[in-house]
Amino acid sequence: MRLIIRDNAETASSYVANYIIDRIRHFNPTPSHPFVLGLPTGSSPLGVYRILVEKYKAGLISFENVVTFNMDEYVGIFRDHPESYHSFMWKHFFSHVNVNPNNVHILNGNAPNLEAECVEYENKIKRAGGIDLFLGGIGEDGHIAFNEPGSSLASRTRVKTLAYDTILANSRFFDNDVDKVPKMALTVGVQTILEAREVVIIILGARKSLALQKCIEQGVNHMWTLSSLQLHPHPMIVCDEDATLELQVKTVKYFKSIEKVAREQGFEQILPSSIRTGPAPAPIPKTVVDEVQSPTILAPQPMTSRLLRATPATEYPVRSVSPDLIPDRMADRVGNPDLIRRLTPQPEQQHQRLASVGA
Amino acid sequence: MPHSLPSSPKSTLRNGRNGITKFTNCRILRGKSLVKEDLWVDSVTGKIIPSQAAFYDDLILPDDVINLGGRILSPGLIECQLNGAFGFNFSTLLEPAAYAKKIREVNKKLVTTGVTSYMPTITSQRSEIYKSALPHLGPSGDYHVAEDGAESVGAHVEGPFLSPTKNGIHNVGVLRQADGFEDLEGCYGVDNLYSEDGYRPAAVKMITAAPELGRMTALIPELTRRGIIYSIGHSEATYEEASAAVGAGATMITHLFNAMRPLHHRNPGIFGVLGIAESQPRPWFGIIADGEHLHPTTIKIAFNAHPDGFILVTDAMHLVGLPDGTYPWTNGDGTSGIVKKGPKLILEGSDRIAGSSITLIECVNNFLNWTGASIPQALNAVTSTPAAMLGLQGIKGCLKEGADADLVVFSENVNLLGRSELIIDEVWKFGSKVFSR
Repeated sequence: MRLIIRDNAETASSYVANYIIDRIRHFNPTPSHPFVLGLPTGSSPLGVYRILVEKYKAGLISFENVVTFNMDEYVGIFRDHPESYHSFMWKHFFSHVNVNPNNVHILNGNAPNLEAECVEYENKIKRAGGIDLFLGGIGEDGHIAFNEPGSSLASRTRVKTLAYDTILANSRFFDNDVDKVPKMALTVGVQTILEAREVVIIILGARKSLALQKCIEQGVNHMWTLSSLQLHPHPMIVCDEDATLELQVKTVKYFKSIEKVAREQGFEQILPSSIRTGPAPAPIPKTVVDEVQSPTILAPQPMTSRLLRATPATEYPVRSVSPDLIPDRMADRVGNPDLIRRLTPQPEQQHQRLASVGA
Repeated sequence: MPHSLPSSPKSTLRNGRNGITKFTNCRILRGKSLVKEDLWVDSVTGKIIPSQAAFYDDLILPDDVINLGGRILSPGLIECQLNGAFGFNFSTLLEPAAYAKKIREVNKKLVTTGVTSYMPTITSQRSEIYKSALPHLGPSGDYHVAEDGAESVGAHVEGPFLSPTKNGIHNVGVLRQADGFEDLEGCYGVDNLYSEDGYRPAAVKMITAAPELGRMTALIPELTRRGIIYSIGHSEATYEEASAAVGAGATMITHLFNAMRPLHHRNPGIFGVLGIAESQPRPWFGIIADGEHLHPTTIKIAFNAHPDGFILVTDAMHLVGLPDGTYPWTNGDGTSGIVKKGPKLILEGSDRIAGSSITLIECVNNFLNWTGASIPQALNAVTSTPAAMLGLQGIKGCLKEGADADLVVFSENVNLLGRSELIIDEVWKFGSKVFSR
């Protein structure tokens, strides 16, 4: 975890904006190798967008080869409603920079089949090669995107019912009329965010200080969904001094000293170069498997990848028509008695070990 | 319509271009304020387009991005009373082809003054002039051809049903009364007052007439039914008569204060109908802010009486745009001379004002200078207010999505008194630039 503390909201926003610009420039995106950026809405990132726009207008950065994915969108208000997140992104960012509209992805809260829209969104992220940097903000209750307290930390893009607190808080944007506030939203899941190669969160103001404290100094907890960031290999939180009010002095000093030492040593807590430049284009030709239109097979997946994952592979039922894999030895199949007698791992033992892991 | 063919058909866009221009870093006129917003216009449809929908739905990025450097972007100006310009008087008897050619010249020159839509106005004339000229003066913007310049939104016939005692410089010899609708049809021509074809409306959009003469007030409902605006003017009407006309459907007053009874405290005359004493809707009204027709304070009083009805007009003669000097003028049967001195026009050998030769933007700047009105208030008087009077809300005079992309780019000069002056830098018609300073 990197925690970057700046004196005020302006300098914190400036740090994030410059960090994103540095990342994009170092990445050197091209049409075939675009930088994939996850984007939030809300008040916290406003300053970041403003500075990004300024830097774009000054010619310091181009978003031509940047692919964007937004975190969330309301369900049930028309797309160009002034409070929709489409409108927010248009007003504060897209209308001012050279993002290609073909590269912009925002969940469609008016899709005829919301569930399919969410599944497709995950697929789009996969097809884009995963998200290189997910920028985010948090709510006072530590929610990230619309993953309200109590959301599964393994959640993926889905329809989410808003907490009553959030509806009340948002009513200020809807003529203070609670009835006008959308009650549902589409949002990326916690797991979707954690799968980004890097996550950068901006947290501003004293109101968010408790959430920051819970997420940094306490354990991983689904009541503060941002705390799941502790499981991410390359998270970064940028905050202003006000947001650190609830932190221990020790914590603040610790993170400040890390940053100071790193700078003195001549490197800025940078990421491994493979992440900074993005994944190399895969040299292996891909095998395209057509989706089977059988009702019993929704999405056949190799068993091994499921077993290797810590979290459930998918929320949707997966059933395979092929017999379950029984881990055995190649030696058994070869039929050479000399090989069988060798002391390589015994399949029976493996089986038992796996069973005990499962238990 | 003789001049209906587009002069230069819009060339097809070169490959990959979509004809969309984005204005950025500008202050655009929105209601009563200037707001920092981008504006997207489409030169193919000639409209202002909803940028957000274009981006998300049509996946469009603009061809050109124009940074206005903080300048003002306003809807194109709308002129409701223009008698001629650049040496051509609309009240002229000419061969149809020659007349059409002249009109096209005027349209192209007029647009450089910031006027993108106007009402060509014919003063009191003999019937034959109406019948020959009006077919050329009807609405001309159907083809959305930017290169054609300013477009007519319909003709304004100022007369001849005017009061002989409030004739101004109109030739008294041609003034007449109407006792039935046939009289109007006989004067202007049946086809100029009514069109079966919804696509091509009738040439006449507005009639200025004295309501107290003949049975004129009774004819107003039939005019409004045909979509023609009735404007009170050149009239001896009392307050009661003017109120009756408003009650019958009059929605406009032609050059308020000029060629009508002055405001009297016992009978406020035509001006009185702005007082909403009879709980009737208040009409719009034209004001000539040329420094000759009205005292600046009178203009301010009129503006404060009914800001939403305040329309600046020039009432300019064909001499606008020409150098100073004495010019011959054919008025009805006789010919006389008009002396042009700057924006002033005086009938030769008298001290009578003979219309003006001021441009609309000069009127706007006078208004700004004399009254301390805000820039949006002054611009609304030549954009959204005349558009509302003409029933063209959402099409002309505004920068809403779906409106015609008629635009003026203004620089703002602040003089020593702290008053603003607007300078026309660029004029755009139907999403294409047609003039640049």
